[in-house]
Amino acid sequence: VAKTSLTSPPWPEVKLPDPVEEAKYHTEVVQKVNKMIATGQYGRLFAVVHFASKQWKITSEDLIMMDNVLEAECGDRIRMEKVLLVGADDFTLIGRPLLGKDLVRVEATVIEKTESWPKINMRFWRRHNYQRKKIIVNPQTVLRINTIEIFPCLS
Amino acid sequence: RYVRQLQRLQLLFSPTAADSRGARQFVEEAAVDFARQHPDVVLYVSPRAGSAPLLLAEYLNGTVREELIASKTSEEIKQLATKLAGQSGLDIIRIRKPFHTDNPSVQGQWHPLTNKPSALTVQGPRLQLQ
Repeated sequence: VAKTSLTSPPWPEVKLPDPVEEAKYHTEVVQKVNKMIATGQYGRLFAVVHFASKQWKITSEDLIMMDNVLEAECGDRIRMEKVLLVGADDFTLIGRPLLGKDLVRVEATVIEKTESWPKINMRFWRRHNYQRKKIIVNPQTVLRINTIEIFPCLS
Repeated sequence: RYVRQLQRLQLLFSPTAADSRGARQFVEEAAVDFARQHPDVVLYVSPRAGSAPLLLAEYLNGTVREELIASKTSEEIKQLATKLAGQSGLDIIRIRKPFHTDNPSVQGQWHPLTNKPSALTVQGPRLQLQ
């Protein structure tokens, strides 16, 4: 059959490797990463955490501000679950969509519970003698991420 | 490792005026409880005649915040005091970013040349084996 421009799809054809070989390769990589974590060969860790309906990319010792009220008092230590991604210099652990709780541990402390700056909510219709002014102040909490830890229990 | 940012709370009120009734009730009932719940805040109570009742809050930055407590019930003053105790001395203005990091990139910041093959591996018309 003659080859035209539509015989093969326009994207390059990718050959998938053998499943047995792939499984071997996977176990090798997993053992290597486990060893690295166990010996502690990682420097700074960063994590992607789902918190207060937002996803944050956090490292240790950094500040995060929420626009709501948490039920913890100032100075309380909080453990964050719902970790989506953890990464270091050489490797990353991607969760589908979450990582296990026995793998990662993210701890944070509540530093401050303040209110936001006074926001003005004004409605005005011209020529109708209608204006309403309302000042909105939201409560906010400031957290500081203390530590991100990983444990070598991959499989 | 948590340090409360509130240093001092000064309560100024006058013993006779009508608008510092809530302040006097607060001093009688809730001030001791408040001081026990927040042991690292110093609470000064100074009755002064002739000025409006004020709640002065000093923070570790040096910023001083004054709040009027005229004609407020003691519960409102207690809520105010707890709110001030939870704040820090930064100015309440619009903050541009809700996060702050000292080390924003761990694996190296992305620039347009990451994940691209370098000139040594690209096969061009001139870089073949000579």
